[in-house]
Amino acid sequence: MPSPASYLLLNPAKPFSLRRLSYTPPRLHARRLHVSCDAPRGSGRSAGGRREAIPAGARQAKKQIVFFDAAPPVAQPQQGGSAVEKGASEKPTTKEGGGNAALALLRRATKKTLAALSNLPLAISEMFAIAALMALGTVIDQGEAPSYYFEKFPEDNPVFGFITWRWILTPGFDHMFSSPVFLGLLALLAASLMACTYTTQLPMVKVARRWSFTHSGERIKKQEFSDSLPRASIQDLGVILMGAGYEVFTKGPSLYAFKGLAGRYAPIGVHLAMLFIMAGATLSATGSFKGSVDVPQGLNFVIGDVMKPRGVLSVAPDVFNTEVHVNRFYMEYYDSGEVSQFYSDLSLFNLDGKEVMRKTIKVNDPLRYGGITIYQTDWGFSALQVKKNGEGPFNLAMAPLKLNGDKKLYGTFLPLEDSDSSNPSVKGISMLARDLQSIVLYDQDGKFVGVRRPSSKLPIEINGNEILIEDAIGSTGLDLKTDPGVPIVYAGFGALMLTTCISYLSHSQIWALQDGSTVVVGGKTNRAKLEFSEEMNRLLDKVPELIGANNENVVDCKSTAT
Amino acid sequence: MLFATLEHILTHISFSTISIVITIHLITLLVRELRGLRDSSEKGMITTFFSITGFLVSRWVSSGHFPLSNLYESLIFLSWALYILHTIPKIQNSKNDLSTITTPSTILTQGFATSGLLTEMHQSTILVPALQSQWLMMHVSMMLLSYATLLCGSLLSAALLIIRFRKNFDFFLKKKKNILLKTFFFSEIEYLYAKRSALKKTSFPAFPNYYKYQLTERLDSWSYRVISLGFTLLTIGILCGAVWANEAWGSYWNWDPKETWAFITWTIFAIYLHSRTNPNWKGTNSALVASIGFLIIWICYFGINLLGIGLHSYGSFTLPSK
Repeated sequence: MPSPASYLLLNPAKPFSLRRLSYTPPRLHARRLHVSCDAPRGSGRSAGGRREAIPAGARQAKKQIVFFDAAPPVAQPQQGGSAVEKGASEKPTTKEGGGNAALALLRRATKKTLAALSNLPLAISEMFAIAALMALGTVIDQGEAPSYYFEKFPEDNPVFGFITWRWILTPGFDHMFSSPVFLGLLALLAASLMACTYTTQLPMVKVARRWSFTHSGERIKKQEFSDSLPRASIQDLGVILMGAGYEVFTKGPSLYAFKGLAGRYAPIGVHLAMLFIMAGATLSATGSFKGSVDVPQGLNFVIGDVMKPRGVLSVAPDVFNTEVHVNRFYMEYYDSGEVSQFYSDLSLFNLDGKEVMRKTIKVNDPLRYGGITIYQTDWGFSALQVKKNGEGPFNLAMAPLKLNGDKKLYGTFLPLEDSDSSNPSVKGISMLARDLQSIVLYDQDGKFVGVRRPSSKLPIEINGNEILIEDAIGSTGLDLKTDPGVPIVYAGFGALMLTTCISYLSHSQIWALQDGSTVVVGGKTNRAKLEFSEEMNRLLDKVPELIGANNENVVDCKSTAT
Repeated sequence: MLFATLEHILTHISFSTISIVITIHLITLLVRELRGLRDSSEKGMITTFFSITGFLVSRWVSSGHFPLSNLYESLIFLSWALYILHTIPKIQNSKNDLSTITTPSTILTQGFATSGLLTEMHQSTILVPALQSQWLMMHVSMMLLSYATLLCGSLLSAALLIIRFRKNFDFFLKKKKNILLKTFFFSEIEYLYAKRSALKKTSFPAFPNYYKYQLTERLDSWSYRVISLGFTLLTIGILCGAVWANEAWGSYWNWDPKETWAFITWTIFAIYLHSRTNPNWKGTNSALVASIGFLIIWICYFGINLLGIGLHSYGSFTLPSK
């Protein structure tokens, strides 16, 4: 439990105004306390060594003695729409005017547009609108045929009393994420991002880069955090701040220290990363190929045959000539019988018929070759190899019977009589399968006979026929794509992760001034305000009190007076 | 079987401990602050933490995959994440009001997870092929950590709103009793805080308004820091998910409902962070945005799975209407 007085100092919740009024007696008391326990460990010698280091740092510092309180005012944000309109309406007149005037007008128009775009309320409302549209996009079923919407949102009985299919089909909300409204808003947001980075963030960098010393104690006291330490030395403060990870610069009696400057820059990186991702996504949308194919085991296909361009920039690469051969398709199962994984053993052959690549792909592990990615996405039951009374094997094609969600059911039929026109209702054996693992067999009356695994080689007797299931041939469902946007998007992802992490850092700045034997300290930070004042209190408590300073008497008088 | 028993015991220990903890909190609020009780509530939280951790570890060992494959496990993980949030400031030894948010949140998630609603899901399930990836651990744990963090941050903001507009809420209270519970916890914060301040600063006259101002400032600041952290985690979580989707589904972004709602959540909290750069909107307006975010997180976490739409409908229950 800290003593009441030191708690008072540590308590960050204490308002700064009160601190200033009342700091002196408890501060002295507390510092004495701390000095008494810190003194033996005393930073005396080591500090002496480092004391020389600080002026060296100061020499490197630029001679910038301007004091910045905040970023310079950004161009006045005008009323959004009107500014743009004005800029647009002014442009035609410039053509008639002289070159210089035209240039000036153009510049003014650009400036106004930029100011309008970087307007914070505009950006926020754009984000709100995008969020709302996305939410709407998940509420309305996407990508259905128009008749679906006619039925679901009829004109004679509107949802909520006013929403009919016109509200959905006219703005293209049946395909929200490619509708012009949505894409337009995204483009507007991208423009806002760029404008904000240009007009607001970059000027802040220029400000933050300059070291700024101040010689005015009043200015320091005006900071969000301020305090003054009687009988202290600015060098000691510098050493302590350096120990706490601050970059410290001193110049004569004044000190400037900062920490977490990267946290000030990182939001720019966040914006740029967002732009990167948007650019990459645009490229993905305009320049990619997609295709999907269902190939029975043992067959092959040419990549170019299944790929369809998705945008205007899609250019077919040479590797589209490559032939893919499905060597084998198989599944693995859990003990409970559920599928654990799908595998396709693929070989790629070039035009000369040479195998250029072979890989067994599975879900989560696609094949990548020359910009083409092949994914394992689906499966099917292609055929059943059956021996009847030792004859065969016959390949029976399997037909999908029910496709209800993920549950699949395939069936086939082995006729036991010859079918001709006189006997249209042929009887035979039905076989059903949920997966490649087990086949359920029914006799010609439709009664259940038994279950056989293709691997078991165990014959089954049905209606006097010996049936042996030799093999189950699956077909693999493959998705193929080329996406030139992925590297750019991934670069954006990496940058975004990094910069948002760095953005968590708080940029703290500390100014101090040696005023006689007193050190006036002030500081501010842009994010972690509570932690900052806590940290400052902790650090300032460590500053040793100078005993036997030149003007000790003066200080004593002062302290007794207060 | 051994693991099942172990898990059973551990969930019950954690649930009963946390019920005791919440009772202690209520006693502290209603009767008076007893030092012994406060310490024991801390011990209770530690016990809970160890039993939840034990549960997750035993799940991991017994199922052989990271225990985040269904809603039940993810809820347990969420309460674990809330506990982590509860602990971090304790380690740094900085005082804040987070524990009053995290403790009730932990009990609510725990209670929901262990309640009868999800019993059929308690068994650890097999992993469908699409989930068999190293990304599962990264993506899902990041998402849940970010949900926990953002929930805490937005609750702090909601507390701020409630405290600032207390009068109006008192009026509501007479009508709606279900707000009572919520306000209860928030008033606990306020109460504890006022008491702390009163104890520590007896030399200053205690103006209620002044404390209120101070408290809202602190809440504002804390919710900002917590939400920033949650936003960072959410960004990482979504991007990991995008990379994973590019491995498993064939595209890094599919506009799948869950994906879209995660993006909406991200946008809402991006709005929150931006609204704070305007000094006029700091406080009330940004807190309002964060409170909207609170609802959005629940839609994203629960609502989408409840509807059972899209590619993310793994290991959840769906409404029987389908």
